[in-house]
Amino acid sequence: MYFHQTVGGHATMPLYQASKDRKDEGLKIVDVLGLESTMKGVEILDLKVMIEEMESIDVPSVFICPISLEPMQDPVTLCTGQTYDRSNILKWFSLGHKTCPTTMQELWDDSVTPNKTLTHLILTWFSHKYLAMKKKLEDVQGRVLDLLDMLKKVKGQARVKALKDLRQLVAANVFARRTVSENGGLALVCSLLGPFTSHAVGSEAIGIIVNLDLVSELKRNLMHPAKVSLLVDIMNEGTIETKMNCAKLIEMLLIEGSGNGNETEIVSSLSLLVGLLRLVRDKKHPTGVLTGLILLKAICSSHESVRSSVISIGAVPQLIELLPSLNKECLEVALYILEVLSTLPEGRMALKECPNIIPNVVKLLMRVSERCTQFALSILWAIYKLAPEECASKAVEAGLAAKLLLVIQSGCNPVLKQMSSEFLKMCSVNYSTSILISKCMLSTIQ
Amino acid sequence: MGLLCSKNRRYNDADTEENTQTAEIERRIELETKAEKHIQKLLLLGAGESGKSTIFKQIKLLFQTGFDEAELKSYQPVIHANVYQTIKLLHDGAKELAQNDVDFSKYVISDENKEIGEKLSEIGGRLDYPCLTKELALEIENLWKDAAIQETYARGNELQVPDCTHYFMENLHRLSDANYVPTKDDVLYARVRTTGVVEIQFSPVGENKKSGEVYRLFDVGGQRNERRKWIHLFEGVSAVIFCAAISEYDQTLFEDENKNRMMETKELFEWVLKQPCFEKTSFMLFLNKFDIFEKKILKVPLNVCEWFKDYQPVSTGKQEIEHAYEFVKKKFEESYFQNTAPDRVDRVFKIYRTTALDQKVVKKTFKLVDETLRRRNLFEAGLL
Repeated sequence: MYFHQTVGGHATMPLYQASKDRKDEGLKIVDVLGLESTMKGVEILDLKVMIEEMESIDVPSVFICPISLEPMQDPVTLCTGQTYDRSNILKWFSLGHKTCPTTMQELWDDSVTPNKTLTHLILTWFSHKYLAMKKKLEDVQGRVLDLLDMLKKVKGQARVKALKDLRQLVAANVFARRTVSENGGLALVCSLLGPFTSHAVGSEAIGIIVNLDLVSELKRNLMHPAKVSLLVDIMNEGTIETKMNCAKLIEMLLIEGSGNGNETEIVSSLSLLVGLLRLVRDKKHPTGVLTGLILLKAICSSHESVRSSVISIGAVPQLIELLPSLNKECLEVALYILEVLSTLPEGRMALKECPNIIPNVVKLLMRVSERCTQFALSILWAIYKLAPEECASKAVEAGLAAKLLLVIQSGCNPVLKQMSSEFLKMCSVNYSTSILISKCMLSTIQ
Repeated sequence: MGLLCSKNRRYNDADTEENTQTAEIERRIELETKAEKHIQKLLLLGAGESGKSTIFKQIKLLFQTGFDEAELKSYQPVIHANVYQTIKLLHDGAKELAQNDVDFSKYVISDENKEIGEKLSEIGGRLDYPCLTKELALEIENLWKDAAIQETYARGNELQVPDCTHYFMENLHRLSDANYVPTKDDVLYARVRTTGVVEIQFSPVGENKKSGEVYRLFDVGGQRNERRKWIHLFEGVSAVIFCAAISEYDQTLFEDENKNRMMETKELFEWVLKQPCFEKTSFMLFLNKFDIFEKKILKVPLNVCEWFKDYQPVSTGKQEIEHAYEFVKKKFEESYFQNTAPDRVDRVFKIYRTTALDQKVVKKTFKLVDETLRRRNLFEAGLL
């Protein structure tokens, strides 16, 4: 790490490590010299611009200024033979030093000699690399344009291959994505999705679309029921990667309501919901689980009618069963969904019907995160209110009272504390204080 | 000694020969069983007149050698019969409405057509129909154009008037030609009630031409009969193609004029879903007769059918058609999930919008069905 402090005058300097690979560096420079001839007649580009645009590139150490550790734009050599960037070494001198920063020798001659050879080498090297980079980008651009052109003409297997190639380019390369967006590529790929699109074509097209930014016009276009059905079908039949792409695309369509608020209705067919539950239950693919849960949350957050559908396909018991195997991130989303579903009477019923629901949810309190505790508490509350007498005993047996005390005593947000104390009051209605306290003690001992 | 030896040898020879034959037979049985396993069986199900046989004919046209001249010609009497049956239905229907309906005057056949009407009605009631001559065709056409008959046709949904009526009536001249050979389209429209089981074996030829999938398609009759007795014979089929004519939401059954056809389809669909023999079978639901549906929906509201009574129209024209279609589709989807036990929820279920008479649509649809079934096989073999 390099820290440059000018306050007070003394700057701390790292010791310049001579490159162990001098020989390799030398070869590289010879290489550059060799290539110089191919660049005759090429415009000399602005070094500063090139250095900026190629930030991440590996610059040979001989080109680096020992003071700033940046490529030198105006290298000058001291009498000791060491080379620095002019502005940096002058600054060093202006602070009153009369030594060579790396060798620490006292300078017998304070002249700085411009190192013309090194300047030339640096400029040549950067120009070469820059042009190579530009060419590569042009190649990518050319390839993308070729593929887009092909997509307009071919069908069948050739179309599938073209889409596959385009998808790989778009996934790996920012420039490819830009080229597609700027040349009507996105609209073209979207137009390939229709009621008779095969799975092979559809899954590749979706893989491309998901990597790009959808403008609202295209979103509206994709919200057509036939196209949404296609998305759902492909999701249900595809590989895990395809499933996730479809889920992400549907989520993209739901964000930013370009319609009149009933996007969720359009999108939420039973086939989609059943498919999402299947995705969410797939323990072999945890990223898929999270993607599915996120979409399910987006869907449940909207219209009540959709929530009923979600409950009707048995989402509640399936999610409850899933909870123990979820990581923290997934757990928060899953509990959010269950909490939203618990606002409906059929949701509360479904929750109550789950075997061992109360002990399983109580276990989650104060275990994972504050948000999880909040959702879990809301869920318990909803169940409790449905059948207070029945649930009271189960809840207390499960150690709910102890947990509630824990919440109240902890540093949780005031809303949560309020909820807990009200809940505790409800519990104590059915139990005498002494029994409640003894139950608390027992639970905490456990 | 020699005799004994030679006798023994003859017996031994006979044994060996028998063994060889047995071995050969067993080998052939084994080969054929193996071959059978690779044949994917598809079962067409659906209520009467849902379009199953039309799909069947389309597959024949698309993936087999189609209909040769002899087969086309063989449909000529069927088509003529359809013409007679239809005009009789319309005529008798008009008479009934003229007697019982509130607006009876609309349905009174004009004087000049009355006699022709009676004659055609008599012909239509026979077991054997005469050949459709030019004269008869002209008479039928005049009757068809009668205002009363047109009014009756407008109420065709109450009278079991078949969907091919308009098509045949408009083509009477061609159908009555002396050298008439039915076209492919004529054959597709021709209506014969399927009895028993019909099957064809075919291979959908893909672009790469080496698509080795072999399918065998079975078409069973649609009318009410003892389905439960024979349905289990179809256990192990790769897929059930269930045809539902969505245009018949305002029509009643041929077998039972008090039962709405859509309700019958709904019940049949639910019954089929619950059959144990189809536990693992893929279901392809063809929502058929979309072409008739899209014309009807703008005139007859969906909620005349009890199943669709909660339908609310939202707009007009094309948007309304799409909205109505999506509503019907959602209803079928709901029915599917309500009647599928949790352990079966993973079987393939896809819905297709079809117009069985449109060959292009059927071809494209079948391509998708084929892809789905192939992917399913790969999935089950663990290769996906």
